[in-house]
Amino acid sequence: MEYAIEISGLTKKFGDFVAVDNLDLRVRVGEIFGFLGPNGAGKTTTIRMMCGLMRQSKGTIRIYGYSIPEERSELIKITGYMAQRFSLYEDLSVYENMEFFGKLYGLNGEGLHKRIRELLEFLDLEDVKDRLAGRLSGGMKQRLALGVALIHRPKLLVLDEPTAGVDPPIRRAFWEYLRGLNKEGTTILVTTHYMDEAENCDRIGLMNKGRLIAEGTPKELKRRIFGGDLVEVVLQGRIQGDVIKGFLNVGDLKYKDGETVLRLVLKDASKELPSLLKRLDSMGLKVQSAEPINVTLEEVFIELVTKSEARVRGEAY
Amino acid sequence: MRHIRITAVVIKELIQLKRDPRSLVMIAMIPLIVMLLFGVGYGGGTGKISIAVVNLDKGSLSWTVLDSIMKTPSVYVKAYANSIEEGRELVKDGTVSATVVIPEGFTEELMKGASTQVLVIVDESITTISSTIRNAMLAVTYKFQQELVRSVGGSSVELIYSSVYGPKVTNLEAFTPLVIGIVLQLVPTSLISIAICKEKERGTFEQLIMSPISRYDIIFGKLLAFFIATIADMLITLMVAVWIFDVSVRGPLIDAMVVSTLFLLGSLGLGMLISVLSRNQLQANQAAIFIFIPALLFSGALMPIDMLSPSARILANLTPMYYFVSAFRDIMIKGFGLWQITWEVFALSVYMVLMMVTAPLVLRLRVD
Ligand SMILES: Nc1ncnc2c1ncn2[C@@H]1O[C@H](COP(=O)(O)OP(=O)(O)OP(=O)(O)O)[C@@H](O)[C@H]1O
Ligand SMILES: [Mg+2]
Repeated sequence: MEYAIEISGLTKKFGDFVAVDNLDLRVRVGEIFGFLGPNGAGKTTTIRMMCGLMRQSKGTIRIYGYSIPEERSELIKITGYMAQRFSLYEDLSVYENMEFFGKLYGLNGEGLHKRIRELLEFLDLEDVKDRLAGRLSGGMKQRLALGVALIHRPKLLVLDEPTAGVDPPIRRAFWEYLRGLNKEGTTILVTTHYMDEAENCDRIGLMNKGRLIAEGTPKELKRRIFGGDLVEVVLQGRIQGDVIKGFLNVGDLKYKDGETVLRLVLKDASKELPSLLKRLDSMGLKVQSAEPINVTLEEVFIELVTKSEARVRGEAY
Repeated sequence: MRHIRITAVVIKELIQLKRDPRSLVMIAMIPLIVMLLFGVGYGGGTGKISIAVVNLDKGSLSWTVLDSIMKTPSVYVKAYANSIEEGRELVKDGTVSATVVIPEGFTEELMKGASTQVLVIVDESITTISSTIRNAMLAVTYKFQQELVRSVGGSSVELIYSSVYGPKVTNLEAFTPLVIGIVLQLVPTSLISIAICKEKERGTFEQLIMSPISRYDIIFGKLLAFFIATIADMLITLMVAVWIFDVSVRGPLIDAMVVSTLFLLGSLGLGMLISVLSRNQLQANQAAIFIFIPALLFSGALMPIDMLSPSARILANLTPMYYFVSAFRDIMIKGFGLWQITWEVFALSVYMVLMMVTAPLVLRLRVD
């Protein structure tokens, strides 16, 4: 099977309000798919419909071939789910929570205890296994929720903002877990507000006002904004712009400490950069350094959302 | 597989109950407090209604009347007044509930063979009190006339009472079925009424239904857990009644337990239905209390069903509490067994089954 998730024409209306608007989305088996979008974009609503927690107004959903909501019971067997809001029992201990959900999946006896021990170790929760879930720190809560989602070794993990409100080091650790799971073959759909996290995803879907406004690998999305990769080249001496502007797409030119700092846009930096350097060299220009600039997804994101809103307004008038 | 899931739900619910002080207080303390309050309120006390006497007669027969009044168990003479007006004031200001006036020339008239009157001034604001006084005064006059006839000659008719469910049922015993009914409806219903909506409110429902749990697992797991917890209530109320208040259950105790268990399960089912239908815990609590009011009114314990209007009688016939109180009373006071109250047992069973099956049918495993 190629696709873990296939959604087409998915729509959800709350009264007159369209929370999810004719959404098409495909997630391949084995990939980490990041679902981004501002507050109220409709990410949670989409996820809930995908999991059969909410009925769609229109559209079809297939998860590993099972159509939702009709074959929801099959979906549940293969899916691990982490809700946006902490939804485990605060008056049960870490261990009791895992035990309870494990039993719901039919695990019992030694098999269950072994699995719980495994997860406690994997998620570094052994020391707090007898602590009530309500007394855990934010980061521990999220790890526990991940543990519960993993109890039955799901093929598909659906995580709704698993790292919201968690410290950067713990967020990093969390992504370590996810990458580990992904290596073992788990498909992951994850929503987040943190753009730096999105870099960890194989592919990203950008959602705004119920619509998917962009989709692709992080690299693809960045290129789409600037029409290519951004590269910073530092040349010795003050070079006049006219000398190079003829053959280069110069975004920005500055002088600093007797050096010239250029920002260039290349279609594909890895391919074009060596030949460009050769050419500069042949012109007698001394290249101090040449490095790709790391555009943050945040910039991409803001750009795309603004553009899409401008387009929507354009349509309206 | 299914039994693992139901057991998991039962264990989880019991752990949560154990860690929730409010629920524990409700399970253990409320039945005790209600029973003890009731026992102290209805068990002890004089149980007598105070009256005043105005004796304007100068003869000896009035003393015979007074003597007979004093011997009446339901009233006691609290004050003596010198005039009708004074006696009326005592009733008006609430010092006594009634004033008995024996008129001037009472003895004289009777000696002449003429008829005479005794005036009773009654506070009618509380019907049970005024009717008790009427009954008491009827008994007094009746007794007095019997004696009069005996002393002066003549024929008369004498009433002889023979009680079937005697010796006399005390106030405490008369109300025990209702109080047990109150505890067995109020506590389980309000306790379980938050079972589902609490999960929805806290968001745990979302995670719960992402596991392979069915609505039957959820509902029956919770019902079973709360049944285990509230069985204590049935035992507490029965034990307090029997051992502390000395209420005697004349029928088989096990039958009383069967009827109580049926009603308890019905209450749990009702509370579960409320929980499934409520949006939040507050709403659920209010519904549980609101539904308790008609149960109390139409229980037949506050006023006999036969005395109600026809429409109210229909309502009473739809009130599970009515069947419980009536069944329990028959077992306790009349010494009946289950086979003598099959209709009530049948009605309670229908109620229980109906409540148990409706809740899972109404529950939706969704978050919208
Ligand atoms: N049950 C509901 N009834 C009415 N409106 C709803 C309901 N659930 C969500 N919405 C609305 O639908 C829109 C999308 O909400 P959703 O929670 O899916 O957004 P989101 O992308 O997950 O946002 P966030 O990043 O804040 O979690 C919001 O405007 C929200 O107010
Ligand atoms: Mg959300």
